[in-house]
Amino acid sequence: MERIELDGVIPKVFSDKEQTGSDVWNKKIIFEKGKSYLIEAASGTGKSSLCSFIYGYRKDYEGTLSFDGRDVRMFSGRDWTVIRQKNIGMMFQELRLFPELTSIENVMLKNNLTQFRDLDKIKTWFCSLGIEDKWSEPVGKMSFGQQQRVAFMRMLCQPADFLIMDEPVSHLDDENGGIMGRMLEQEMSERGVGVIVTSIGRRLEMNYNTKIKL
Amino acid sequence: MLWKLLRQHVSIAQLVGFFVANLCGMVIVMLGIQFYKDVSPVFAEEDGLIKKDYIVVTKKVSTIGTLTGKSGTFSSYEVEDMKLQPFTVNVGLFQPARFKVSAGLSFGGMNMSTAMFLESVPDTFVDVKADDWTFVDGQKEIPIIIPRNYLNLYNFGFARSRNLPQLSEGMIGMVSLDIVLSGNGMREIKKGRIVGFSNRLNTILVPEAFMNIANAKYGDGGELRPSRLIIEVNNPADERIAQYFNENGYETEDNKLDSGRITWFLKLAVGVVMAVGLVISVLSFYILLLSIYLILQKNTDKLENLLLIGYSPSYVAKPYQILAVSMNFLVWGLSVVLLLLIREWYSDVLEDIIVGFDGGSIVLSCLAGMLLFFIVSVYNVIAIRRKINSII
Repeated sequence: MERIELDGVIPKVFSDKEQTGSDVWNKKIIFEKGKSYLIEAASGTGKSSLCSFIYGYRKDYEGTLSFDGRDVRMFSGRDWTVIRQKNIGMMFQELRLFPELTSIENVMLKNNLTQFRDLDKIKTWFCSLGIEDKWSEPVGKMSFGQQQRVAFMRMLCQPADFLIMDEPVSHLDDENGGIMGRMLEQEMSERGVGVIVTSIGRRLEMNYNTKIKL
Repeated sequence: MLWKLLRQHVSIAQLVGFFVANLCGMVIVMLGIQFYKDVSPVFAEEDGLIKKDYIVVTKKVSTIGTLTGKSGTFSSYEVEDMKLQPFTVNVGLFQPARFKVSAGLSFGGMNMSTAMFLESVPDTFVDVKADDWTFVDGQKEIPIIIPRNYLNLYNFGFARSRNLPQLSEGMIGMVSLDIVLSGNGMREIKKGRIVGFSNRLNTILVPEAFMNIANAKYGDGGELRPSRLIIEVNNPADERIAQYFNENGYETEDNKLDSGRITWFLKLAVGVVMAVGLVISVLSFYILLLSIYLILQKNTDKLENLLLIGYSPSYVAKPYQILAVSMNFLVWGLSVVLLLLIREWYSDVLEDIIVGFDGGSIVLSCLAGMLLFFIVSVYNVIAIRRKINSII
């Protein structure tokens, strides 16, 4: 998958507004593989909506959203399953971890599906993100910042064309945010993935190709 | 790991409730079929092959009918209707003599004479195969068949009380009777000889050929209105015979139709039992489905997250489907075991009261249970999958 195109896309709840002042809504915009995008927005401007439209679990928008020219409204449930296993990795704002599973189990739940990473690699991530001592701790007992790091690792277990992160560092300190930014840049250079990051204030520090105002 | 996640909220109590209810339903359905299969051969003919039988039919004699002079005879319409019934193979008419008959007997120096009556039925209905059961016009001697009961009545009743010799069937056959026929102003004496004894026909029988000739000669020439019919049927246990007779007010001379009634009641009882079993089964299947829906509902967030991180709906549905199908299969297996145990118990009871009881095979009831298992499992699998598909 090379391109994500939005053509006149706008959430239905916004559709009666004449002017949104947004670079995304009701505009034509293309996200390309291998590039990084920062979408900055105020609260309530539809940041998470954009992520959910691209990830295919909400369809309450107008306009056309297409992957490599294929309208995603035509995709079947099976198509979306394949996309979520191979093409797009997602880090949700609400993380969507399983609190009763340990942090490694949460990561392995994804990696078992994709078989993309080996255990050693995952161990080095735990160490670099400073939560190696939380390896076998249930995620429900961890702080939100720690949970964000687990969700981030889970996303990296995806053999993706695009990685989408919805406010990935909202509860992280600058140091750990910086580590995550460097890991992402490494992924971009190694695998050529496209990265889309949203932010309402704290931003994930890296060299973005494009900054967009939502 | 997936199961560790999904088994949360699986309520053992609900599943046990379903299991017991489903077990009851399935056992009742299977037991109904099995019991019917085991018991119904007892009422049918022993060898199981189609064995013909004969039923003698009369109309009910009622007091009002007698007072109003209502005839107890069958009209030609009624005879035709009887022939059209699905259980009927053949219908024969009893033809009574319409002239006066008296029979005399010289025996050991005693002369006895009595008024009597004769009847005939078509020869195919006569259960005695006597070589001399023929009559041609002008023949001096008339062959006669009497009910075996008559001989027994004489031998074991009359002869013993009066110190008279008992008679064998062979001896009777050697006795010659004097038969006096009279009517239309004519009188004729013929010889009569008893050629056989019938278990089936409770009358004094002469060949139909003789009756036709004698009725034409001495009778009053009126229309033949039989008061008794003999019917050949395939299966006297057919409950439709009893129903038909009941509707039309007919009676039979023996209780051959009782087994028909019993079979009918048996079918009715088994039908009711099976219906109850099916209702219980259907309810229990709903319990299972509701339990699974409830588990799915409680796990909606987890299921949604699993689907969003890339698990396919079929993969996520599988643990629940396996759970449901294996529960169903366990129920079926346990039902077969219970069926065998209960059958063992009632077989013992039935063997004591029914001679030659050996029961039918359990294949049919097991197959019926299997069918139930399949229908329910397929429905469960589809329902679970649909529910999961509807999550996102």
